[in-house]
Amino acid sequence: MALESFTESQPLTLGVELELQLLDTHDFDLTPRAEDLLRELVGHEGAWDVKPEITRSMIEIGTSIQRAYIPLRDELRDLRRQMSRAARKLNIGISGGGTHPFQHWSLQQIFPTERFRYISELYGYLAKQFTVFGQHVHVGVPSGDDAMWLLHALSRYVPHFIALSASSPFVQGVDTGFHSARLNSVFAFPLSGRAPFVLTWEGFGEYFDKMTSTGVVQSMKDFYWDIRPKPEFGTIELRVCDTPLHVDKAAALACYLQCICRYLREERPFEPAEDDYLVYTFNRFQACRFGLDGEIVDPKTKQRSKLRDDIIRTLARVDEHALDLQALDASNLIRDSVFDGNDASWLRGLRRRTLPMPAVVEAAATRWMA
Amino acid sequence: MPPLAQQVADWFAELLRGPMAGLRGADPVLGLALVVLVALIVANALHRHLQLPRLFGYLLIGAVASSAALDLIKRADLDPWKPLIDLGVAALVFELGTRLRPKWLLDNLWLTASCVLEALLAALAVGLVLVALGAPAASACVAAAVAAATSPVITMAAVLEGRPRGQVSERLLAMSAFNSVLAILGIKLWPVWGQLGATPGSDMSSLLANAGVVIFGSLLLGVAGGWVLDRISRLDGQAATMPVLQIAMVILVALLAVALGLSPLMVLLAAGMTARSRMGHRLTVEPHLGSAGAALTVLLFVSFGVLSTLGNLATLWPWVLAIIAARLVGKGVAIAATARPSGLSWRQALALTLTLQPMSSLAVLLVADSFSWRGQLSGADAEVMQALLIATTLMQLTGPLWALWPLQHIARECPDAERSPRDGA
Repeated sequence: MALESFTESQPLTLGVELELQLLDTHDFDLTPRAEDLLRELVGHEGAWDVKPEITRSMIEIGTSIQRAYIPLRDELRDLRRQMSRAARKLNIGISGGGTHPFQHWSLQQIFPTERFRYISELYGYLAKQFTVFGQHVHVGVPSGDDAMWLLHALSRYVPHFIALSASSPFVQGVDTGFHSARLNSVFAFPLSGRAPFVLTWEGFGEYFDKMTSTGVVQSMKDFYWDIRPKPEFGTIELRVCDTPLHVDKAAALACYLQCICRYLREERPFEPAEDDYLVYTFNRFQACRFGLDGEIVDPKTKQRSKLRDDIIRTLARVDEHALDLQALDASNLIRDSVFDGNDASWLRGLRRRTLPMPAVVEAAATRWMA
Repeated sequence: MPPLAQQVADWFAELLRGPMAGLRGADPVLGLALVVLVALIVANALHRHLQLPRLFGYLLIGAVASSAALDLIKRADLDPWKPLIDLGVAALVFELGTRLRPKWLLDNLWLTASCVLEALLAALAVGLVLVALGAPAASACVAAAVAAATSPVITMAAVLEGRPRGQVSERLLAMSAFNSVLAILGIKLWPVWGQLGATPGSDMSSLLANAGVVIFGSLLLGVAGGWVLDRISRLDGQAATMPVLQIAMVILVALLAVALGLSPLMVLLAAGMTARSRMGHRLTVEPHLGSAGAALTVLLFVSFGVLSTLGNLATLWPWVLAIIAARLVGKGVAIAATARPSGLSWRQALALTLTLQPMSSLAVLLVADSFSWRGQLSGADAEVMQALLIATTLMQLTGPLWALWPLQHIARECPDAERSPRDGA
C-alpha cells in the first residue's frame, strides 16, 4: 500500500481525542460497558465524535475542528455533560487518568471489531495491556513537508507534555514511582518511540514504502510514535499525553501545543537535527519518572535544567502567540499546574491520605464527571 | 418396563436399601453434613464436565435427599442448622443491600418504571390466571404478591458465582431487591384483602397500621444498623476486623427484627444500603463471608433443596404451569416495554427477563416476619398455596440456571464463562 497524499489543512487548527475509563459504580474497577454507552450516545447533540477503543472498558471521544481555547473548552464541557448524563443513566462512572490504578489486564475484553481483533491476534497479551488512556492532540499543517519539519521540531517539547499531563502513577494496584506509567505500556509495541528523522513528505513516503514492503506495517495506524503525521486529516498528532482528570486541562494542553507550534513556525528558533534525538529518550524517561521535577538536557547546549523551569521559560516565550491565538487562559492554567503539580501528584495525595484504591478512582471519576 | 430393565432397577433398589435405611436412621446433623459433602463433590463434577452452576448442584442434591425423593432428610432435621442457615441468608441479603445504589433509580426514571412495572405485571398476570382457573380471589392475590418477587438470595449467590459485570446483572440485583420489597408490602396487606370480603367495620385500620409499622419500622431499624456499623468501624479503624463487625451487626439486626415483629429482609437491605452510603469504600464486604462463608452457602442451598415440595403435582400441574408462565409473560412484557428508553438492548432485555425468573422458598418466607419456616398465610386456599409452593420449588431448583445462563450466553457478562472450567481458576 502506497502512502496517501497529505491533505492540506488550515495551519494551527486543533482537534482533541481523549481515551476514557468506564467504571463500575460499586467497586470502581473497569467495566466492559462501551457498547451500552455508545448506544446511548447515538444521536447526541454537537459535532463531536464518540467511538470504541481496543478494550470494552474504554471509550474514545474526539472534538470537532477548533481554533481557540474557549470554544474548544466549551465543546469538551458540553461533551462531558452529555456523556456524564448518559453514563449516570446506565450506572457507569467515567474518569480520566492515564491508567486505571488497580484493574487487572487479563480481565479486559477486546472490543469486537475487525481492527481490534487483528491487533489482539498480532500483539497477544500486549493488546489487553494496552488498556491505558491517552490524550491525542491534532494540529493542522498546510503540507506534508511542514508536517515533517514541525514533528521533529516539537521533539524537544515532548517531555513538557508528558510531565504536565501525567496522571498514571498506579498500575495493577501498585504505586510505580512514575508520574506517567502509561507510556511504559506503549513502549512495549515494536513500532513505538520516535518517528524516523525525515524532513520531507517525499522522504517519508520512501521510508513508508520500505516498511510496507517488509510486511511489518500495512498503514499509518501501525505506527505508535509519540508524534506522527496524519495525512488523511492534514495534521500531526501528539500522542504522549495521559488523559487529564479534567476537560479544561485537556483543552489547555492542546492550546499550549498550538502556541508552541505557532512559535516554531513563525520564529524558527532552531532547525531540527538528528542529534536532537541523542537526549530524547533520556528526557522522556525523566518526564515519565519524575514529572515536573525531572531534569532534561538541552540537545543543542547540553545544559541540564529542571523540566518545571523549562516549561516556565517556554510559556514566557510563547506568551505573545498565546495572546494572538486567544489562548492566554490556557497558558495561565498550564502555568498554575506547573506550581500546583500534575494529576499524578493529586492522585498520590489522595492515596497518602490512606484512601483505598477504589476511593481514589471514585474521586477521579467525580472530578471528571463534575 | 422391559423385564431386564426392571431387574436392573430392582437390583439397584436392593443395593441401596441398606445404606439408605442407615442414613435415614442416622443423626440428623451427621446426615446433613454427609449430604453437604456429597453436594460439594457432585456440584463440582457438574460444573467441571457440564458447565452447570455449582449452586444448581447443591440444590439438586438437597432435593434428591428431601422427602420429595429419597427421603433421607426431613424438614425438621434442618432445625439444628437453622441459626447457620439464617446467617447465610442474612449475609447474602445484607451484601445485596450494599450493592444497591438508590441514586441510579433517580438518574434513570425509566429504570424505576421498569422495576415497578415488572413486579406489578407479574403479580397481575399470576393473579388473573389463577382467578381464571377458579382460585379464590383473595388467595390468588397473595399468590400473585409472592410471585412478583425474584429470589434475592439466589440472585446474589449467582452473581457471586458468575461474577458478571454489566447492565443486566446490575438491574437484576436492583430489581430482585425492589420486587421483594414490593412483595412484602403486598403480603403484609394479605390480612386486609382477607377482610375485604368479611364484615364491614372489622378492624381493618389496625391491620393497615400494623403493616405500616412493619414497613417503616424495618426501614428505621435497617438505617440504624447501618449507622451503628459506620460509627463502630470508625472507633476501631482496623480493616481486618470489618468482617467480624459486619457479621455481628447482621446477626444483631436480624434478631431484633424478629423480636420486634419486623421484616428481616427489609431490615438487612436497608442496613446494607445505609452502610454502603455512609462508609463508602471502607465497607469491604467479603463475598460469602469469606471461605467459611462459602461452606455456609453450600449448606444454605442444600437446605433449600431439602425444602422442595412436589406433593399433588399430578393434580395441580395446570395451576403450577399457569403461575410460572404468567410470571414469565408479565415480567417479559414489562421489561420489553421499558427496555429501550431505559437504555437496554433487546438482547439484554431478553436476558434480564430470564434472569428475573428464580423464585425461592424465601419468597414464601417473605410472608413471615422472620426466617421461620412456618407459613403465615392462614386462611389462604390450600390448593393455591400448594401450587405456589410447587412452582416455587421448581423455579428455585432451576433458579441458578435461570440466573446464570442468560448472563453468560445472552448478555455475555461473565468473562470467566468463556473459559472452560477445566482451565482452572
